[in-house]
Amino acid sequence: MILVREIQKSFGRVDAVRGMSFTIEPGEVVALLGPNGAGKSTTIRMITSYLSPDEGSVRIDGYDTQTDSLEVRQRIGYLPESAPLYPEMRVIDFLDYRARLFHLPRGARAKAIGQVMDRCRIAAVARRRIGHLSKGYRQRVGLASALLHNPPVLILDEPSNGLDPSQIRETRSLVHELAENRTMIICSHILPEVERLATRLIVIAGGRKLADGTLGDLLAQHTAPQLVVEVQGDLQAFQASLGDVCGVRAIMQKPTKDPGWTILTIDTLPSAPDPRPEIACRAASASIALRELREVKPSLERVFMDLIESPETIATSTPHHAEATH
Amino acid sequence: MNAILTIARRELSSMFRLPVGWVVIALFLLLTASVFALTLTPGAPASLRDFFGISAWLLMPVAPAISMRLLAEEHRTGSDEPLLTAPVSDIGIILGKYLGAWLFMACMLAPTLIYPTLLFIVSDPKPDPGPILAGYCSLILQGSLYLAIGTAVSSMTSSQTLAYLATLFPILGLLLLGTVSPEALPDWGRAVINAVSISARAGDFARGIIDTAHIVFFSAGTALFLMLAHTGLASRRWR
Repeated sequence: MILVREIQKSFGRVDAVRGMSFTIEPGEVVALLGPNGAGKSTTIRMITSYLSPDEGSVRIDGYDTQTDSLEVRQRIGYLPESAPLYPEMRVIDFLDYRARLFHLPRGARAKAIGQVMDRCRIAAVARRRIGHLSKGYRQRVGLASALLHNPPVLILDEPSNGLDPSQIRETRSLVHELAENRTMIICSHILPEVERLATRLIVIAGGRKLADGTLGDLLAQHTAPQLVVEVQGDLQAFQASLGDVCGVRAIMQKPTKDPGWTILTIDTLPSAPDPRPEIACRAASASIALRELREVKPSLERVFMDLIESPETIATSTPHHAEATH
Repeated sequence: MNAILTIARRELSSMFRLPVGWVVIALFLLLTASVFALTLTPGAPASLRDFFGISAWLLMPVAPAISMRLLAEEHRTGSDEPLLTAPVSDIGIILGKYLGAWLFMACMLAPTLIYPTLLFIVSDPKPDPGPILAGYCSLILQGSLYLAIGTAVSSMTSSQTLAYLATLFPILGLLLLGTVSPEALPDWGRAVINAVSISARAGDFARGIIDTAHIVFFSAGTALFLMLAHTGLASRRWR
């Protein structure tokens, strides 16, 4: 179990993380989502004990990252952003070096290296220098090194960063396999990636946690369906008549390629009754031709954008907070 | 202990995998060979006193070149992140890095053993082994101190160039202190200079004197700078 309690971290005058708290149960696959500079990597670095929090605490399986740092590190497999490795080393030598650092006994070392090379499909490049590998392979070597000691907690910081689409696909399927029997934290701003992998999402911006829950929870709590209405006629009167329909929050208008036809995108209010029947009635009574009236299911992208662009988030993320990276 | 040896082994093999390691060794051997050839006087008793005196100065630019990348490069490339999140204590990392650099220096000094060997073979009477032993003691102790200074500096920056220069100048300062005219200074100034002067201690070693006080001085200085390196590394977690 990972317990993060009110952690704070500043770099000079920049507040990178401000009072973050959450708990991750064993077996959960949690995605930390946020725009660049949101504080994701800093949060992860405090969990891995690479950085010390200015305030607050992080405990993994009951061990504090400050006082029992070595115990914590033995339990974590960590792939930092861009998988920084030693380019002059051969893959097999690098894995052997990492296995020794994690105190794997002599007999278990060769077996563990063989297993992770098979699992990460890097056996073919075992004798090659890391600096000569493609970025996708380097990422896999980094992942293999994080798995050597079979850690119960795996932390991946932007595992698909800088990869081409086919490499992203391969990495994603590998991460999916790895997520089956361990606690995992994935830090990313690639929404489709985390949507497929994570059982729970934590949205961060400006160093603060904005939302925490399953995808279903976030969709239900933070957004409502949009309606797309394609109409022709006296739009001014029609739009005015929709103003008092229960459940309608905002209306945006955009022209179509067909002359005379217009698309209205209607934001609805969460937990309000479905406004579509009433909209159809109002269109009929205003003599508006209605060609389409459909509901667009809310997406993670919309939830994410709504959260990070909400007035409250912008108000609490002063410019120097938004730039906070380390 | 195993982790220290693991890090030291990686560090040592990494230096031999990179061109900079070979360049440093080649340059040092070329210069020491020139010094050996130029300081021999036909007909004079065989001695390596001048050789050791000049070689100690040659360590000044070489030691920072060995130590500059130890931690600075790791910080610049981000490879310190996997290292600092491995179950190894900060002092273990520092000692491993330092040991790797020290072993590299030992590998660099080892081929120079050919010079005393040559003297023993060709000269008559044979050279006195005491000053030669003391000379190597001096080189190793000075090199150890310089590498510790370099490790401390490297732990505080991510720029190799800065690490090189910030190591070179303090070493130069320590060496030049011995050349300052003591008469121009007050008593306390003279006492300080005598206490930290490397040249004076190296002079004793060159005469074949292995003084415990000198060994303690270099060992304590090395330990002090390794502690500073540990503080520098630990402070990265707070910065």
